[in-house]
Amino acid sequence: MAYSELIKNFANVRDYINEFYNFGFKSRREFGSKSSRSYDNERRRIESWLGEYMNFFMDGDGKKIFLSVDSRQIAHNPLYKAFKAKTFTDRDIMLHFYILDILADGEELSSGEIMDRITSEYLSVFDNARELDESTIRKKLNEYVSLGLLWTKKDGRKKLYTLSVDEVNLSSCKEAAAFFSEADPMGVIGSYILDKLDMVPDVFRFKHHYIMTAVESEVLYELLEVINAGAKCEIEMFSSRQNRLKKYSVMPMKIYVSTHNGRRYLMAWRFKFKEIAFYRLDKIKSVKCQETVDTAGKYRTYAAEQEKFLWGVSVSDPHHTGILEMTLRIEEGSEYIVDRLMREKRGGKVERLDSRNWKFTAEVYDPTEMVPWIRTFIGRIVSVKCSDKNIEETIKADLKAMYKIYGIGGEEDDIQ
Amino acid sequence: MIFSEVYGSYFNAAAKILERAVDGQLTESDIVRIVNDSAFGESVLSLPSKIKGTEWGLVTADLKTPLKHKPYKPLTLLEKRWLKTLTSDPKFKLFGVEVKGLDDVEPLYDRGSFVYFDRYCDGDPYESEDYIKNFRVVLEALRNGKKLRIEFFGHKGRKHNKVVSPLRLEYSPQDDKFRLLTVSSGRSWIINMARVQICSVMDESADTNELPLRNTAEVILELKDERNALERAMLHFSYLEKKTEPLDNGRYKVTLRYDRDDETELLIRIIAFGPMVKVLQPESFVRLVKERLTMQKMLNF
Repeated sequence: MAYSELIKNFANVRDYINEFYNFGFKSRREFGSKSSRSYDNERRRIESWLGEYMNFFMDGDGKKIFLSVDSRQIAHNPLYKAFKAKTFTDRDIMLHFYILDILADGEELSSGEIMDRITSEYLSVFDNARELDESTIRKKLNEYVSLGLLWTKKDGRKKLYTLSVDEVNLSSCKEAAAFFSEADPMGVIGSYILDKLDMVPDVFRFKHHYIMTAVESEVLYELLEVINAGAKCEIEMFSSRQNRLKKYSVMPMKIYVSTHNGRRYLMAWRFKFKEIAFYRLDKIKSVKCQETVDTAGKYRTYAAEQEKFLWGVSVSDPHHTGILEMTLRIEEGSEYIVDRLMREKRGGKVERLDSRNWKFTAEVYDPTEMVPWIRTFIGRIVSVKCSDKNIEETIKADLKAMYKIYGIGGEEDDIQ
Repeated sequence: MIFSEVYGSYFNAAAKILERAVDGQLTESDIVRIVNDSAFGESVLSLPSKIKGTEWGLVTADLKTPLKHKPYKPLTLLEKRWLKTLTSDPKFKLFGVEVKGLDDVEPLYDRGSFVYFDRYCDGDPYESEDYIKNFRVVLEALRNGKKLRIEFFGHKGRKHNKVVSPLRLEYSPQDDKFRLLTVSSGRSWIINMARVQICSVMDESADTNELPLRNTAEVILELKDERNALERAMLHFSYLEKKTEPLDNGRYKVTLRYDRDDETELLIRIIAFGPMVKVLQPESFVRLVKERLTMQKMLNF
């Protein structure tokens, strides 16, 4: 098939954008299972959509393509462009403009009447234009009813179509749309709205903006619809450990979002093991909505109890929590560290022990998740005590390794 | 359905071309310009000929169109549902708009469906009347390109009263805060919106010609891919301009470009990776890490 910059489904290109944007150090040959032609086509498409952010470097393995964006400098997420590259047929685009034009004056018309107008007033302008049959037009009309672009009503045995009433004054909310098109988890829809405006306000910028999550929008939308329905679903995920696709039967409940790395997780009831589980959205390939769950309330109550003891998204053992205590030395003039503790403590407690020492305590399912955060206090840690002694040992061993690689108190060594 | 051609760049470009055609003002160069502005890098190779072809039936060879009206771009149900969802966000009130026509529309999701589990808990007071008032004044100044007289507290608690040219409002989902980026006498001022006491729009136009240069720097890291550090770091630092090059034995050289004002924040983000990440350059950044480690070693933990 001839190359096109448009795509039929989003799933294939997701992996490539992820590789180019998040990693960006693989050569063509390192794209493993993908064929060279598929690599060339996807790279060319992404370059067509996002060319200004694409870079490359050469090394012994060949050319390495990477996407690099300083997300603080952009008003609009460039990855949304990929969602605007859906393929379509000649008839799709023709009927889109014809139907909306025919109904623009507010008339209520049947599919037959619309077909007659198309034939006499539109196709007649062109030589050798192909005739359209009524069933094609009816199919498109019904598709537009489900999209909310048209309304339908019965007139005896006739089904009439009219433009849906749109009372929303877009220009009054264009600044809000511009802001939320980046700040909202489903911001791609805001981007569609901005495309309808003649002038898009350039007022906002975003810091700590993880734009890559945009490519999960389709999966997120499907999950939100399942959550709204109180239903169960089958999710298909890629397991890195087993290097294969796996299916899980779950009842989705919430989406957990990290503002520190952009990762998003589905919190769901997993039927097989009768437990709460978290699944990374970037690993979910597809979502199949199934029947509603009668006992949804019971699972939600159970989840609410567990959420009280989450630091992040890990429940290593739902029957046991661990307690972690960290004492920090905060000298006079460094009170901003106390402010940090207070705003970052999540479910933990902070107490002052004496004029210089402060204690942070948290009871969580998986204290391992706290280790990177604890390290951010390096330079002030007096002690760390944890019910899981391995965690204490890991923190101490890591500190020793860091002393070594930076030559603190001895010879500098390479990273081991 | 979120991935649909009706939201596509080709449809948008076609709509803009047809607007000109309905007015009887379409030219060949309009088509090329609109396609370049509204579609993708290679669209100009195919879209102009397609739109004038019989297959699409939209524009004739002499650049006329059978369409009688400028293309109508109504909101889809999905777009209305998204707008309805926003109206329940406290930040939506900052904009002072009421969206009519959504009464019978179901929101796309309930706000409780999202948990931002590591967001700092001292975010801006979006419900505060003073905050809302100040936000709207700032927005008005930005919208109309006017200077602002603004009274605010700096991060050390000192009160400032200045005339500034507002450039942008910057939002951080991690901090859940807005900062106003401004320039005054050629110097950049970043003002936390929550610390603004009072502000007013001036008649004078904002001086946006004297944009201060960004003060950025590069840090080079060596990363050891253990405990999934590579993937974690790649995601963690993906908001910055970054380049990653494989070395040997599961090691990678990572180059990050960052704003110097955020050096401390980047420093603690890097040391959070422990011994899996070593700062190689610049020496000044290496010194910052060493200072922290030296302080730590003295605590005999």
